[in-house]
Amino acid sequence: MEAEVPSRRSRIAVVIGSGSVKCAAAIGLFKVLQREGIPVDMVVGCSGGAIYAAFLALGHDAATAEKKTRELWTRDITHRRNTRALLRAILPQVFGFDERFGLVDDRRVLERLRDGLGDSRIEDARIPLHLTATDFHTGEQVVFSRGPLVEAVRASIAIPYIFEPWRVGDRLLVDGFLSDPMPIGVAIREGADVIITMGFESPYQTKVTSALRFAFQISSITSNNLLKANYAFHNLAHHHEILPILPQFQHKIHLFDTDKIPYVIEEGERAAEKQIPYLRGLVGPRPA
Amino acid sequence: MDIRIERRERVSVIAVEGSVDGATAPALVASFREEVLGGMVRIVGDFSGVDYTSSAGLRALLETVKETRQRGGDLRLASVQPDVWRVLDLAGFTGILKLYGDTDAAVASFAG
Repeated sequence: MEAEVPSRRSRIAVVIGSGSVKCAAAIGLFKVLQREGIPVDMVVGCSGGAIYAAFLALGHDAATAEKKTRELWTRDITHRRNTRALLRAILPQVFGFDERFGLVDDRRVLERLRDGLGDSRIEDARIPLHLTATDFHTGEQVVFSRGPLVEAVRASIAIPYIFEPWRVGDRLLVDGFLSDPMPIGVAIREGADVIITMGFESPYQTKVTSALRFAFQISSITSNNLLKANYAFHNLAHHHEILPILPQFQHKIHLFDTDKIPYVIEEGERAAEKQIPYLRGLVGPRPA
Repeated sequence: MDIRIERRERVSVIAVEGSVDGATAPALVASFREEVLGGMVRIVGDFSGVDYTSSAGLRALLETVKETRQRGGDLRLASVQPDVWRVLDLAGFTGILKLYGDTDAAVASFAG
């Protein structure tokens, strides 16, 4: 039986979920889509995926996106500890404690985001772009579809315990993965038909040797279950196709393994290539 | 996608080959439904030859699971390949479907 052919061209969305450096696999996906002449009508990103969503929606080619990531996401962005935050956590009655908590001084990451993204605004992206964060006080998903790109990305990557929540307007925001690690719902709401989605489960700790690792483990358990629950719902709710592209990594990819980016991109490309024949059937023949 | 149907006493084994997606899911649903309407509500989906499933494929499986269970039967899957298993797991299907290592084990599971 043939696939249903809509009367208009299907609107194609690419959704890049959380997953730190693993999200670089989205560069491989874009390489394949560009090579095949498959148009992308919108890009949605959250957390690590927000960085790649931004680069790709701005129109950077794969090589530039890779170069920019290597410049942005280096281990030294977490080197400067936020000593005051640590003291506030240990002795809250002495130093005072509030929701602006993050163990890493975020000045460097902010500086890098500004270097990499400049003054770009979301609405100026070549491909319509939507980035997600989470309201710290209500848990609601917050979607940025316009406004300064740096602000939205900084909010989207506000990893709990590491970077302090980020204020945008009157809302205090934390990492987008806390409301949905793979925000397919945004693409559905924005009118996408075919949704190509790339998402990653948070890694589990092999050894829990500190309170922070304990917290990360709890966070991974929660977010992985949230990822599955939301994905299940979106699969049933969507009127057209959701194509998961799930690259498989033989090597473990850690938070700052930027040296493995070429490998990650390659795996993303490999996983995407497998779906091209079907995707081609959904969107029609390659333009002449 | 190729579909082969084999009857093993009161169990219908439906072997699927290829991708279960929007282009092929309607044919799969039709095969499942034909079996169910024919009274074969105990179905084993032999997925050893399935290399991918999209959202349309997942919806087809869910529809059949509900239909068979409403009639006192079940849809159970056998030999699900790693790539497909990952999608099933991500979508929560490994929590609601019974999966078996091979077709014989899946067929035998209906004996109890």
